[in-house]
Amino acid sequence: MSTPISYFLVVSAMLFSIGTIGVLVRKNALIIFMSVELQLNAVNLSLVAFSRMHNELDGQVLAFFSMVVAAAEVVVGLAIIVTVYRRRRSASVDDLTVLRG
Amino acid sequence: MLDLIWLVPALPLAGAAVNLLLGRRLGKAAGRLATALVALAFAVSVGALLDLLAHGSEERVHVTRLFDWISAGSFSVDVAFLVDPLSITMALVVTGVGALIHLYAIGYMDNDPRIGTFFAYLNLFVFFMLVLVLADNYLLLFVGWEGVGLCSYLLIGFWYERPTAASAATKAFVTTRIGDAGMLLGIVLIFVHVGSLDFGVVFDEAAGELTQGAATAISLLLLAGAIGKSAQLPLHVWLPDAMEGPTPVSALIHAATMVTAGVYLVIRSHVLFEVSGTALTVVLVIGLISALYAALASIGQFDIKRALAYSTMSQIGFMFFAAGMGFYTGAMLLLVCHAFYKALLFLTAGNVLHGLHDETDMRRMGGLRADMPVSTVWFAIGALSLAGIPPLAGFFAKDHIVGFASTSGRDLAWILATIGAFLSALYIARPLFLTFFGRRRNEERAHEAPGPMQAPLAALALLTVVGGLVLGVTPETGRLAVFLEPVVGAVEHGEGALRDGALIAISVVVAVAAVIVAYWIWASERVNWQAFPERQPELAGWLANAFYLNALYAWLVQFPGKGLGRALRVVDERVIDGAVNGVADEVEDASHLAPAIQRGFVRTYALAFLLGAVALLLFLGLRIV
Repeated sequence: MSTPISYFLVVSAMLFSIGTIGVLVRKNALIIFMSVELQLNAVNLSLVAFSRMHNELDGQVLAFFSMVVAAAEVVVGLAIIVTVYRRRRSASVDDLTVLRG
Repeated sequence: MLDLIWLVPALPLAGAAVNLLLGRRLGKAAGRLATALVALAFAVSVGALLDLLAHGSEERVHVTRLFDWISAGSFSVDVAFLVDPLSITMALVVTGVGALIHLYAIGYMDNDPRIGTFFAYLNLFVFFMLVLVLADNYLLLFVGWEGVGLCSYLLIGFWYERPTAASAATKAFVTTRIGDAGMLLGIVLIFVHVGSLDFGVVFDEAAGELTQGAATAISLLLLAGAIGKSAQLPLHVWLPDAMEGPTPVSALIHAATMVTAGVYLVIRSHVLFEVSGTALTVVLVIGLISALYAALASIGQFDIKRALAYSTMSQIGFMFFAAGMGFYTGAMLLLVCHAFYKALLFLTAGNVLHGLHDETDMRRMGGLRADMPVSTVWFAIGALSLAGIPPLAGFFAKDHIVGFASTSGRDLAWILATIGAFLSALYIARPLFLTFFGRRRNEERAHEAPGPMQAPLAALALLTVVGGLVLGVTPETGRLAVFLEPVVGAVEHGEGALRDGALIAISVVVAVAAVIVAYWIWASERVNWQAFPERQPELAGWLANAFYLNALYAWLVQFPGKGLGRALRVVDERVIDGAVNGVADEVEDASHLAPAIQRGFVRTYALAFLLGAVALLLFLGLRIV
């Protein structure tokens, strides 16, 4: 007997919620970024879990895709954050309000 | 040579093209090229004249068809040139006097940086003028007609840096346009009634089938064009202002050729005018009134060129007067002779302007005969010719016309014309005495014009002296009258209240008396003419401002025009702009709502995403359940 799917989904939901709260309450762009990664990985976990439940590889393939895309996104995102930090000596997203209406 | 007649307009056209494209590079050679081409056109015209003379007098009509121009249904127009005594006379005047004026302009425009452009325009003008006089149908004539108007505009405004020149050019163009609109309607009406625009067809039909009413309508509409172009009342206001152009332009376009196009049109269309009858009377009345009006206005001018401009208008009035009496050969004789002596007068005035550094006010001239003896002789010949002193050209031309009024039984017209002749002699002797005789009123020493500028004047002076003797000693048997007879008919010698000898005597006495009066007033120092405007401010004002017709027109056109403009401005600002701006304002107001939710805080957006996603999920979940 394998572990029931609900265990995986509960962990995944907890990770996703932690990530979401992190995105919403933190000001530091780096922390927000890490929280976003947490959300992504929560989704990856549920994808892999469903893949095992259905005995098909589609979900795992999709998880790999999302990891690759996430890696690329990290590169771009970190570069932006570093550049912003260099110019403004701050990584707080609340200071970046130039484009407000 | 008759088949080569297309060369006559083509040569100046080529000159215009070359000077327009290469004028800058040619430099001073531009003027020589332009002059040579017009002179060549004159030579071809002379050749055509000789060919024409070789034929019998009734066969002197030659039409050269070049190509189909417009062909649409029953309407077809060729580009065709008509050579007959009337058109070749005009062509000879245009190219002959034109070449002399071109020659003069080489010296006159010597220092102008845009000399190439100037000669290009001048050549283009000669081209269009030749198209006008050689055209074999009304449409081609109209092309030339509009073309000379364009060149007139370009040349009046040649010194466009001066605001007065630019506005004078516009005024000339717009004013003549009023007449041209009527003329175009007249041409359409000819097509409606006759079905063709060829001169031959139109005149054949007109003599037989055209109703009097139709002929009157056509003639009066054509006359509107003629009045505009020839600066007759009531469309004359542009001519005095046109003197803003360079002096050779005034001589060529606004004295010798273009302004006489109206007279040519009336004579060319005389068949239509005669069928109408009424139209001919209108021509007579307009001509006579214009002649007297312009003569009085000329006496009030102190600008030498404006005085000459009103004199031109007055002389053309005499031509219209003659044409209105059916005395077409007399009108043509005056046209030709006037081209000689008025070109001479204008170019001599150009010498004075040249010598005095563009001073045009005669109050600051006087006694110039010491500085400019040769120019004095030229101006005296021209002025005395215009005044009607025998045996100069003007004497014969004017005497024939005034005399014809009497011999054809129009006694009132004769009296008015005689008064007009007296005034003509007075107004033209006035600039002669004011400029060259009397006391010197300018410290500056004038310098005489150089030789190359005097040569064309000598030629024109010679023509002025012998022109009348050669072309028309008597109204009926003069060379020009006999030559033109196949086109316009013979002159009938009537019996008036006075005998011929008496008429000539009166004419001479009137002219001599006027010149003596002019000398007494303006050169003898016995009359203080300079105080006249103070003594008689009203009369002087009426004369100097040409009876305030300019002001009247300005008032008539300006007030309704400005009122309309203001009304339209209100409509534009309130209604049209109001609608457009109103829509824009509403959109802008609405757009102020959007920034309320665009606070710039990333977390707000993230929260919005989350709430949206939750809402969507709830919605989907509830539906599935």
